[in-house]
Amino acid sequence: MIDLLIAILRSGTPLVYITLAGVIAQRSGVWHLGLEGIMIIGACATILGIVATGSFALALLIAVLLCVAASVLLWVVIEKLRANPIIAGLGMTGLGLGGTALAVEAIFGSQATVSAPFGVPRIGDSFGRFGVLSIFVVALPVVVALFWVLLRRTRFGLRLAASGEHPFALRSIGGNPSAMRLAALVIGGVLCAIGGAELAGGSLQFFAQGMTAGRGFMAFAAVVFGAAHPVAAPAAALLFAILGTLGIRAQLLFGEKVPHDLLQAVPYLTTVVGVWLSSRLRGGGDGGGYGELRDR
Amino acid sequence: MPPDSPAAAVAALDCRDVTVRYGAVTALSGITAAFAPGLIHAVVGQNGAGKTTFARVAAGLVQPAEGEVSILGTPIRTGHVSESRAAGVELVHQSFALPPSFTVSEAMEFGATGRGGLFTARRLRRRWQAHLAELDVTAGPTQRIRDLPVETQQAVEIARALITDARVLILDEPTAVLTPAGIETLFDRVRRLKASGVTVLLILHKIREVLAIADTLTVLRAGQLVDGPRPAATVDEAELTRLIVGQSDPAAGRSGAGPAGQPVSPPVSPSVSPSGPGASPMVPAAGSHPPALGIYALRTRADSEGPALEDVDLEVAPGEILGIAGVEGNGQKSLVRAIAGLAEVESGRIMLGGRDIGPRSLGERRAAGLRIIPFERNTEGLSLRSSLWENWSAGALLQRPLLSPVRPDHLRRDCAAALREWQVRYHSPAQPAGSLSGGNAQKVILAREIDEAARLIIAAQPTRGLDIGATAFVWRALRAARDRGAAVLVISSDLDELFDISDRVVVMLSGRVSGRFAPPYSLTRVGAAMTGAEGAFA
Amino acid sequence: MSSHLVTITRSLVFVCLALLLCAALMQGLGFNALLMLTSVAEGAFLRPGAIENSLRWGLPLFLSAAGVSIAFRAGFFNIGAQGQFYLGAIFAATAAHWLQGGAPLLVIPAILCAGFLGGALWALWPGLMKLGSGTDEVITTLMGNFIAGLLLVWVTSGPLKDPAGSGQQASSPVLAAPYRISDSSGVSATTLGIALGVGILLWLLVNRTAFGVLSGLAGRNGTMVRWQGASSWRIGLTSFLLSGGLAGLAGAVEFAGPTGRIASGFLPGHGFTATLVALVANFSILGTAVTALFFGGLAAAALYLPIMAGLPAAAIEVINASIALFITARSRLVDRLAGRKETSS
Repeated sequence: MIDLLIAILRSGTPLVYITLAGVIAQRSGVWHLGLEGIMIIGACATILGIVATGSFALALLIAVLLCVAASVLLWVVIEKLRANPIIAGLGMTGLGLGGTALAVEAIFGSQATVSAPFGVPRIGDSFGRFGVLSIFVVALPVVVALFWVLLRRTRFGLRLAASGEHPFALRSIGGNPSAMRLAALVIGGVLCAIGGAELAGGSLQFFAQGMTAGRGFMAFAAVVFGAAHPVAAPAAALLFAILGTLGIRAQLLFGEKVPHDLLQAVPYLTTVVGVWLSSRLRGGGDGGGYGELRDR
Repeated sequence: MPPDSPAAAVAALDCRDVTVRYGAVTALSGITAAFAPGLIHAVVGQNGAGKTTFARVAAGLVQPAEGEVSILGTPIRTGHVSESRAAGVELVHQSFALPPSFTVSEAMEFGATGRGGLFTARRLRRRWQAHLAELDVTAGPTQRIRDLPVETQQAVEIARALITDARVLILDEPTAVLTPAGIETLFDRVRRLKASGVTVLLILHKIREVLAIADTLTVLRAGQLVDGPRPAATVDEAELTRLIVGQSDPAAGRSGAGPAGQPVSPPVSPSVSPSGPGASPMVPAAGSHPPALGIYALRTRADSEGPALEDVDLEVAPGEILGIAGVEGNGQKSLVRAIAGLAEVESGRIMLGGRDIGPRSLGERRAAGLRIIPFERNTEGLSLRSSLWENWSAGALLQRPLLSPVRPDHLRRDCAAALREWQVRYHSPAQPAGSLSGGNAQKVILAREIDEAARLIIAAQPTRGLDIGATAFVWRALRAARDRGAAVLVISSDLDELFDISDRVVVMLSGRVSGRFAPPYSLTRVGAAMTGAEGAFA
Repeated sequence: MSSHLVTITRSLVFVCLALLLCAALMQGLGFNALLMLTSVAEGAFLRPGAIENSLRWGLPLFLSAAGVSIAFRAGFFNIGAQGQFYLGAIFAATAAHWLQGGAPLLVIPAILCAGFLGGALWALWPGLMKLGSGTDEVITTLMGNFIAGLLLVWVTSGPLKDPAGSGQQASSPVLAAPYRISDSSGVSATTLGIALGVGILLWLLVNRTAFGVLSGLAGRNGTMVRWQGASSWRIGLTSFLLSGGLAGLAGAVEFAGPTGRIASGFLPGHGFTATLVALVANFSILGTAVTALFFGGLAAAALYLPIMAGLPAAAIEVINASIALFITARSRLVDRLAGRKETSS
């Protein structure tokens, strides 16, 4: 039972951090489909940083800087070059996945996984069997709480929400929606770096190409399913992680009889049903059609 | 303190030579006006006169191309909301600008300045409860904006504008969404604000409301300052109507010597008398010739595009031009959308050529002879990034099966022929519609909408933004269509033009028909029906 | 026509910008960017046999990209080509499984039709949700990609599992030779014929039917088309079905052609690349054909680089991603560049 809990926390923590990044971007008015790419940059930079510097703190700093740089690039492309955020976000995902693979190849001359001598610091043996958990796992409730305070209990959070929901309202009180989006993407960059660091350095301590394996998109699904709420969306992410872990356990126990692959589709299916129901509730049934192609 | 007193040396809001251009369009040209402190000022004019732009310049939302703005004697950098707010100017928008998902207290807080970036739900509630109570806003601090009735939403907007120490409060068309009772409440509120020393600018267009509340009047027309600010006591309804609507301009040289030349014509004895809200609905003509368009007791719901229609009755006979007058936003758009089948009809009937078209789609209505020259030339009328021939052929293609073969070269050829016939100046049918001037673009729409099979042509603001030549062309085309036997429904805010072309004129106010007139038209009486200065206020 | 020239110039400017970014990134990582780019060109087009290889990847890419174009032209943001491609492949493989032993002349068309049907169905439900309730098609089609990917894993490790399969990747049995429409080179009279036939039909559809004119208008300005009396269902559903169906057909071609079977996670970047092709070609059918060949070349180079030039295949992914990052940008600078080209020509 404790093993199961640990497994869930380990698989859920990176997902939740990335989901928070998606939440803040979504609230500011950016559909963040570049989460996957920025996350893997964080994962790669953490492991390579540990290998290069021998210090976790320095490695994390490098990861944060790189993820923030990637987020700023995405912001420039979306806000300054006025590119379509969806296509640009997918491009950022590809850039992260490809760029990290390229970096590993450039530095090590092969595509093999890169192992680090140590990973994210753990909370230690005084916590018994939970001692194997990383500090990011334990920090998670605090981070989510702080995140909730930031988004729901500060003026900054209100202005952030306004820039996504009603940019003109923000402009009429003297705010700048574009600047709010920059802030959101930068904060999201930091969270992606932590999520990536936890993914690669939490329990695994290595980096492999494409190791994010779609977590960025599952986080996006959690953002959509959780209506970009600072607590509901992480809860959705955790739920998705529980489903995934249970699915694997069930398959181990019952073998092939459990259609594990179809269980994995549950997060995506629930998200589809969720957005469909919410659009029905909003009553957008007038044929909707013909949205002008969003970017042109 | 009388408004013209020399003691009012430092104006609350002082604009000098303010000019605003949107692309090639000049929205405001050289406005110079000083508004004395502690009074209620009304800025009046028709839609498109530049009132909202003026308000936004003062609030820092729009950067003027030229000109200076001073608040209480201090010049501010234009185009910066935070500067204007710091100087004490707050603007309440016509279509409110608060995020709908916010609670009332959040809506207060998100615009607040100064300390208190971090809060708890209770502190937030307490902090703004007092503020709301002070202003007699009935909304609870935890209610969401989207759940509030419009009157309360507006009250919350005003409360939001007053969270800082606002010295100049600008309300853009605050009465547009209110019931008569709501207007009274609003005016009480405004008077109390005045008593507490706030300078209030009201952007309005209904004359009776203006005269009921304003200390001074400022009239804008077509981006120009026509008059004011001058004491409201020195103006009467008739003169204000004349100032707002404008006199016919002899230099315009319009075709046809109608009664337009005599704006002060004697009162008419119209064949169809002005009918108030309680008028009995018309009955479908039982005769041999059904009207081309018959609308009976039509009701629609209010939505983002305009007010609800309430018991609208209209008939247009074949070979007749019916003009719809009225200040914009009084249900004209709802009427056109209802006839087009693009708005939900609550009750009532719409008959096209004697047949009820209630359940029919716009495609079927068009097949039955309905043609529409829509309000928004550049969005509803044309696809600016599409070629002329595509724009021109869209209506006809929609009447065919989707997979029916098309020869673009033939369409281009036919389009070219039609455009030549309609005297469009262009160089290739393949050029995008966005490259044409306004007049030529409108001619493309005319070429598409006015054909042999047209039974009812709806022309919504068909001459807006056009020069004299193009305007005359449009009117000639509509007259020709009428002479061929088509029924024409013209919606315009230019009364001179409307009087010139219409066989009858109907005035709309707040979603109702507030007057019906036949030639010779009286500008005074039509204007009165438009502005609600007389009779039907609700 | 000048407007075409402007859009082509725009696309080229952005592709060049993207390549520049790639070169900078590669140089920064310690590669010789020039060598890298020349190797890419070599692998894609210059070395002997490269064109055939580019065709092998470009062919299915063209089919899917044409589908994406149909949806985007009509104003629907269908980013679900990958899922529709997978569903087409699954349907095709299922049809092949059921019809084993039948006459190839009947079975092959059935496989292709099944593929089209599968893709169309996978676009049908996002279309219905969009048109009926206004549900955002970006979310539904994106989620559809992942659901379809998992469906493919399930199908290849369950119902259609290759009993002889041993490798790590679950897959279906290889399709029997008589039913194959090409060998692993992917280039045969049949595949070329399908691409050519579909290309011609689509070109006719887009340029010579009412649907083509009206869907383009609707995509650029739906309001105007609605005021002209269009029903959003007629054009909308047609666009969705056709768009998904074409990606599904690509899946069937891939299954019955070069790959010869379906395998979990095969051609993972196909849908994304197809979307890029459509965007770079600005939704013209002829342009899509040319652009698909270009991106097919890049895909071929991805295989060539590590083996022949000793360079990482990820370079191709980076090139694609950079193009995606910039292709929808509407910078005034680039507009001006493109505009100037127009006036000078």
